[in-house]
This record gives sequence, structure tokens and C-alpha cells, in this order.
Amino acid sequence: MPSGLADDGLLLLSFFVPFLLLLLGLPPYLKLLTRLGHVSDDAHKTPPTKVPEPAGPMIFLGALVGEFVVAVGFHSWVPVAIMLGAGVAFIIGLYDDLYVLGGKAKPLLLVLAGIAFVGLVLFKSNLYQPVLTFPLLGDTSPHFTIYTILAIAAFPVVANAFNMMDAFNGEISWFSLLTSLALFLGLVLRELCTSGFSLARLASALPLIAVAAGFLVFNRYPARAFDGDSGSLTFGAMFAGLAITGGVEIAAMIAIVPAILNSFYTLSSVRGFVERRRMASRPTYMGSDGLLYPSTDPRAPNTLVRLVLLAGALDERDLVKSIVYLTLAACVFSAAISVLTWVA
Amino acid sequence: MKLAPLFGIEAAAFLLIIAETYLFFNFVIPIGSIPHSLTGYTGLALLKLGSIVALVAAWFVVMIGLTRLYVREKLRSAPRPSS
Repeated sequence: MPSGLADDGLLLLSFFVPFLLLLLGLPPYLKLLTRLGHVSDDAHKTPPTKVPEPAGPMIFLGALVGEFVVAVGFHSWVPVAIMLGAGVAFIIGLYDDLYVLGGKAKPLLLVLAGIAFVGLVLFKSNLYQPVLTFPLLGDTSPHFTIYTILAIAAFPVVANAFNMMDAFNGEISWFSLLTSLALFLGLVLRELCTSGFSLARLASALPLIAVAAGFLVFNRYPARAFDGDSGSLTFGAMFAGLAITGGVEIAAMIAIVPAILNSFYTLSSVRGFVERRRMASRPTYMGSDGLLYPSTDPRAPNTLVRLVLLAGALDERDLVKSIVYLTLAACVFSAAISVLTWVA
Repeated sequence: MKLAPLFGIEAAAFLLIIAETYLFFNFVIPIGSIPHSLTGYTGLALLKLGSIVALVAAWFVVMIGLTRLYVREKLRSAPRPSS
């Protein structure tokens, strides 16, 4: 195991390699997508503009290279487990980008990501500890069966929650960046305040932060790239894997409360998994003044965006700002949980 | 300030998650001792799973209630395009 300066160098590499790969690799990749006709309407612009999609393959490649650096540098299987789960989610997302999956098929298939992740435990038993650490309360006793079921369920739940936060310019990239930083804070505090915590588990979070930050450059308003389901599901599955391997599940769950609420609101108001193109009524609409308005149709799903717009019509940029504020608040709660768990 | 009610709902979700996980790991998990028969073990596992479902359901009920209250209040004065 390298130490000192070598560790610092590896940590820097595991951030900058995927970050630069995305910054330098995305422009030619986006040109290729445009040339091949893989473009989508940016529906919230007047007139709608064409944006290349999906950028998910580059996001996945960046994350894969970053986790490879961590795996080789720290001789760890943790990044392998994370990318195994994220890889399955990415393939499902890419299929959905190209051929469109049903509303129920996607979450069901995403269970496979959790199974692939947990399956590696058969070969490497120390990938995660089947305990939850609570603020002020400390560790629970090990509960392998319950924890494993929860770990498998975490992948479809979290990946779908991220996927449903991907409707407006910059929304998914800001959300992924902020929540992964909150998760990273939890890992840093755990590394500093507990003994025997592997640095590889901390380093494994850096590629996610790097690809989220790199993608934000292209996805922020006005977007030059959309990630597609392949990108958002990769973000979500990596986040779930990192929370489990890092043992910071509670702080991670709190950080993504806006996404959990968003998917919960949507599922409860449309009563099940319904593909967004098949919803009876859209949650929002764009007025002739270019502002976004909430639907007043009672059948419209109660998405987080509709709830924000009920407080007042907004343009796309201000709407995403509001979502960022809500995410920031959740990240502050998450940071409080991390401090109470590892420092207090 | 317009977002204040949503921050409130978010804080309620956060506090409920913390309170329910505390209840789960301090009261549900320690239920009973380790039974030595398969039936006893299954019954205990089902009881614990039922308790998880009940806690999750309680979270859903509270969140649905808060959201419906917010939507009902806001729909009365929902913004509409001027034209």
C-alpha cells in the first residue's frame, strides 16, 4: 500500500484523470453524436434547440478510468464493485436511450445492478460491512441478510431517483456534484476519525465528483449536452455503491432527500411506475412568455419541479437554481449527520 | 422565501428518517432472542420485516399529507400565463 506523497498523488490522479478525460473527450464525442443524428429537442427553449444525447458513455468511460486508477493504485476491489453495479446500470440506461424501456422494466432491471454489486461479496467478503452507523448511537450489530437486501434495493431506488432529477439544463449535473461532495465529506470525516478505514474507499468517490464536475461544464444552462438515462443511472448507481462501500449510508440518504421526495411524489401521484412519455398529463408547461408554469390538472404528477413552480412561475435557469438550493439544504443536513456520526 | 414550505417538507423528511431509523435499530432489531427452530426464525424475520414496512408506510403517509396540504394551498393561487 503506498503512503504519504504517493497517496496524495493517487488521490489527485483519481480526480484529474476522469475530469480531464471528460473536458477533453466530450467535445469531439458530442460532434460525433451530432453528425450521427443523435440529438434531442431541448423542449424548454423557444424555439426548441437540438442538443446531442447521450453523453452517458463518456461519463461512464471517465468514471471507469478513474476507478481503474484507484483499483490499481490502492490494490483495492472496492472500485471494481462500484463499477460493476454502475456498469449494469449504464447498460440498462444506454438500452433505454436507444430503444426506450417500459416504466416498470427499468426499475426491475436495475435490481441486476444491485445483484452484480452484492455478488462480488461472494469472492471478496470485505467490500462492505453489514452494519449501519448512526449519529450519536454508533454501529448496529451486523445483519447480513437484511443489509444485503437493502443494498440490492438501494441500486434501483437511488439510480431511478437520480434519473428522475434529469429534466432541465444542469439539474442532474448540479445534483450529482453537490450530493457526491456531501458523500465525500462523510468519507473524509470517517477516514480522519476512525482507525482502519481504507483510503481506497475515500478515493473511490473522487471519479464520481470528477465526472459530475466535468459534465456540469457542458450540461449547465444553456446545455450543450444531455447525459441520457445512461448518464443519470451511472451517477445514481455509483452513488449507491459508494455509500454502501464507504459505510456512510445515512448521510448519503439524507443528501439525496430532494430526489427521493421527487420520485416518491411522482410514483404516489401517478400510482406506480409510468414512463414519462405515457403520463396522462404533464406536470409543467411553458407559457408564451418563456416561463415554466405548474399544471393545474389534478391528474398531473406532483414532481418536485411542479411543487417549486406552484410557488411562482420561473424560467429554466431560476428553476434549476431553486432545485440547487433545495439540494444544498439537504447536503447541509447530510454534513450535520456526518459530523454527528464520526466527530461527535 | 417562496421555497420555505418546501424546505420545511424536506426538513420533516430528514427528521422522520432519523427518528424512524433510530426506532428501527433500537426497538425492532433487538426484538426476541435467536430462536432455535426454523418456524421461530421465520416468524421473527417476518415480524421484523413487517415492522420495517410499517415504518416506511408511516413515512409515506406523513409525506403525502404534507405534500397534499402544500399543493391544495398553492393551487388556489397557482401562477398562470397572463395571455
